[in-house]
Amino acid sequence: MATYLPLFMLFGVAALIAGGMFVATTWAGPKVPNDAKAEPFECGNPSDGARNIRPSVKFYLTALLFVVFDIEAVMIYPWAVQFRELGYTGFFTMASFLALLAIVLIYAWRKGALEWEK
Amino acid sequence: MSDSVFFAIAPLLVVSLGGLLLMMTEVFATRRADADGPSSDLAMGTFITMLAGAITAFALWLVGPDNLAGAKAVAPYLLVDRFTLFFDMVLCLGGGIAALLAGGYLPEHKLDRGEFYPLLIFSTAGAMVLASAGDLLSLFIGLETMSLGVYAMVGFRRGSMRSTEAAIKYFLLGSFAAALLMYGGALLYGVTGKTALAGIGAAIRAGVSSTDWGILLLSMVLILAGLAFKVSAVPFHMWTPDAYEGAPTPATSFMAVAVKSAAFAMMLRVLISVFGDPLSTSWGTGWPPVVALLAVLTMTVANLVAGRQSSVKRMLAYSSVAHAGYVLVGVVALVEEPGTAQGSIMFYLLSYTVSTAGAFGALILCGSRGKEAVSYEDLAGLGKRHPAVALIFSFFLLSLAGMPPTAGFFGKLYIVSSSIGAGLHTLAVLLVLNSVLAAYYYLRVMEYMYMREPAAGAPIAVPMRSGYVRAALAICAVAVLVLGLWPTSSLSMAIDAALALR
Repeated sequence: MATYLPLFMLFGVAALIAGGMFVATTWAGPKVPNDAKAEPFECGNPSDGARNIRPSVKFYLTALLFVVFDIEAVMIYPWAVQFRELGYTGFFTMASFLALLAIVLIYAWRKGALEWEK
Repeated sequence: MSDSVFFAIAPLLVVSLGGLLLMMTEVFATRRADADGPSSDLAMGTFITMLAGAITAFALWLVGPDNLAGAKAVAPYLLVDRFTLFFDMVLCLGGGIAALLAGGYLPEHKLDRGEFYPLLIFSTAGAMVLASAGDLLSLFIGLETMSLGVYAMVGFRRGSMRSTEAAIKYFLLGSFAAALLMYGGALLYGVTGKTALAGIGAAIRAGVSSTDWGILLLSMVLILAGLAFKVSAVPFHMWTPDAYEGAPTPATSFMAVAVKSAAFAMMLRVLISVFGDPLSTSWGTGWPPVVALLAVLTMTVANLVAGRQSSVKRMLAYSSVAHAGYVLVGVVALVEEPGTAQGSIMFYLLSYTVSTAGAFGALILCGSRGKEAVSYEDLAGLGKRHPAVALIFSFFLLSLAGMPPTAGFFGKLYIVSSSIGAGLHTLAVLLVLNSVLAAYYYLRVMEYMYMREPAAGAPIAVPMRSGYVRAALAICAVAVLVLGLWPTSSLSMAIDAALALR
């Protein structure tokens, strides 16, 4: 426990500095309220325009296809590392997996999921 | 790895490859603008795929799974035994009938998009994996493959608020149930260090320390709750009526028969292989009292609520919950009478599959041109206007109510006799009383069809014309009649299958 003592002291000092700054600014800081300051702060500039914009479904399709082909990478890397050990069984298993993915791609293409402008 | 592996998992391969083939057929088919929608060729293709899957499973049954060299290579991830093959046949039957129903329903209700059929096939493939899974990993993969397809099918009517609500509700609660199961499975792995169901069971039988026993009980509770969600047992049934009502009726039929059968297959495997030790199966320390309570609640609550529904589809949804309760009575009887109780459960699931798919099919036949027949009033006077439709609807309802000479009668009879054999007299009496209660709402549909005239100006159901739906109804009707008149051969098949699971 004693080895962690400096760490706890560090936490204590950090809390003291952070808390102290809050107290000091509320107590000593000048206050000039205006409209922009009174708004709830999110981030960046104040937004203008409608908030209920519907993102195009194309983004969703792209994300979905990305996941499908990302999984491909997840599977292929470990297989490549063990290529010799897995032998022909591994080779044909991976080949059939890639064939499945090719079918997925063909399906997506024929269904029009890859056409950005329609 | 040799070729024999492919023989051993042939039913699964046939169904999956058929699904891929149909996907490609759909996207490459050139269709004239005035031609029928994709259902016109995909429905039959899907049915043939499922039929091929069932026939392959039957062929493997005749060969005998013990003679398959490849079966050992896929164990314990996929167990190829008679239990698996029996469920493969039941699931392919449920999926095939749903495909035929969809062939009539989707074009009639302007939902004719080809995606339905691959979803149906891959869901069935997932259900088959689930029924044959002998390892927590493959069990979970099968469960999710099955469920994902069904979530999409439930929300297939995209423009409808009700269908979307049903899909979201089913998705959220289904994922929650899967999470419970997974947590339970993780605890099991934590205690025993194994993922194979048989290995976990052996480790528990060998004895565990008392702290570990507490964790095991927790995992048992979590797994039972997850399973109860999937078979929609009260009090985990809340999603059932909404999801069943919002889904397109062929998807409802698939959920009621195939998803439920696969969930029961999973339940039987888990309870027997993992929690089959004397301590877990005793009434003082194990799962029997919990399952008995679930069974009593499920039967009684579902039957009471089903009688108060004004929508026939919702009534059938509650009826499917009630039937899950009857099956749970059989599950309790497993402890004392392992072979016969399990055989009776499996026979019940088979007879329930054909009766329920038939009842939903008849309901589909009663609606047309975008309007489903939902309320009792829609059906008023159907017996005079369309006697054939009313007759076949009544036949399936009688089977669900358990009247001889239908499949439903023998299903209930075997469950009751096995539970009496196991000494569970109270449960048996409650089951019989509940079937009397259930007869009320099944007969009420018939009363509306035969003894009421539609109110003046009220919308009446106009039956649709579809060869697919008629074919599905014919298959179900023949199966209900055959199982009702000659139940012994299929029962002995079910018992054979049950004996495989030890």
